[in-house]
Amino acid sequence: MNNVTANILRFFLVIIAQIFVLNYIHLFGCVNAYLYLLALLMLPFEVPRWIQYIIGFVTGFIIDMFTMTYGIHASACTLMMFIRPYLVIALNGRKTDNVTDKPMPGIKEFRWLLAYTVILVFAHQLEAVMLETFTFRHFWKTILVIIGNTVFSSLVILCCEYIFVPVKKHN
Amino acid sequence: MNNLSEFLKRNFHLFLFVILQILCIIMISKSVRYTSFAISNICQTIVSPINEAWYNVVRHFSLEKENEQLVLQNIELLNERDNAFVIQDDSVYTAYQQEDSLGLKKMRLYDYSYANIVYKTTDKTHNYIIIDKGRAEGITTDMAVMSANGVCGVVSDVTEHFASVISILHPDARISAKLLPANQIGTVLWDGINARYAQLYDIPQHVPVDVGDTVITSGFSNIFPNNVLVGIVSDVEDSGHSSFLTIKIRLATNFSNINTVYLIRNIYTSEINELKSNFKDDE
Repeated sequence: MNNVTANILRFFLVIIAQIFVLNYIHLFGCVNAYLYLLALLMLPFEVPRWIQYIIGFVTGFIIDMFTMTYGIHASACTLMMFIRPYLVIALNGRKTDNVTDKPMPGIKEFRWLLAYTVILVFAHQLEAVMLETFTFRHFWKTILVIIGNTVFSSLVILCCEYIFVPVKKHN
Repeated sequence: MNNLSEFLKRNFHLFLFVILQILCIIMISKSVRYTSFAISNICQTIVSPINEAWYNVVRHFSLEKENEQLVLQNIELLNERDNAFVIQDDSVYTAYQQEDSLGLKKMRLYDYSYANIVYKTTDKTHNYIIIDKGRAEGITTDMAVMSANGVCGVVSDVTEHFASVISILHPDARISAKLLPANQIGTVLWDGINARYAQLYDIPQHVPVDVGDTVITSGFSNIFPNNVLVGIVSDVEDSGHSSFLTIKIRLATNFSNINTVYLIRNIYTSEINELKSNFKDDE
């Protein structure tokens, strides 16, 4: 039960931070950080897949409401949640996933988290930015924005994870 | 049959994913096409109050920049005001001439710029203002200073990057003013008591004056252009033993809350002073 409240609390905190602070920050005029993906990235794996999709959709849609890009973030978040289980299997390799497996610092090592965050954020940004521009006219600029957004978002997300999640040392 | 339901159950999440994506694509296509998209209307009624409340907080961070832009725009508008020009119907003159929409020949007489206040006093008997522009920016003594609301003072001393201004709240500041609608010329002086009020002298007793009449600059001093607001008549006093009225005016400029002032340069000051130096002194 404690786990659920922690997730809900994190969800709201991250969305409020996204809407009221990070949406106003544009590095170099066009690069944004999407911290709200943190809430989706840190969702426990044992949640049924279809619920994960709905959570992704609703989260994206809330962001869409505030940026008036109806459907874009919702779609990208759903896609991200769709990819996530396959990515986890790919990253874990042969190891069986037990119940204690969580995408959190302390449980997973840094390299795992880095790959996990960057790949998922990139997938999200690829769809979101492509849908938003919806043209190939400024192709290289779009690619630069996607990469910039991915780097900036991953940096912010990983920093937040390492700052706010207590790392228990087990030895 | 059993196989089918099994298949559906196993791949339920896949169907949901496809349904959600289709939903998104419909929303995206609709919101691009139509401005009055139903979902957007519903969302805006929910989101707008939140966005507005937050924006009221955020916009304070950009007020300084916005203010700067407004000051620049004001300078532009002030430079277009009629009182910056002398109208000349004669087409012989060519220097500094501009033709306006009425076909009148106009000569620019005044030039506006702005400065920020770095220091000011309002509660002394001799009040000064120091501004952040000086000789390097073309400031000279005897330039007129006005605020957004009205007359402010006259530049008295200039250094390389700063200048001091004698505000109206100084016994040496005398401003040639005109009382409207009586159209009578007088002089505005400060009595040193209240920073919001000054006195208008030299208005004869026979002139009808009402509370609420406006006092503007006359333009005869060649420091201030005409038609700059000085204040509003708040009280008329008939002293009895002199033939002039003492009129109390409420100053248009509230010196306690000004931060930016406009400087007015008379382009032909040196020429006018040259002529004035040839006047025969009475004393």
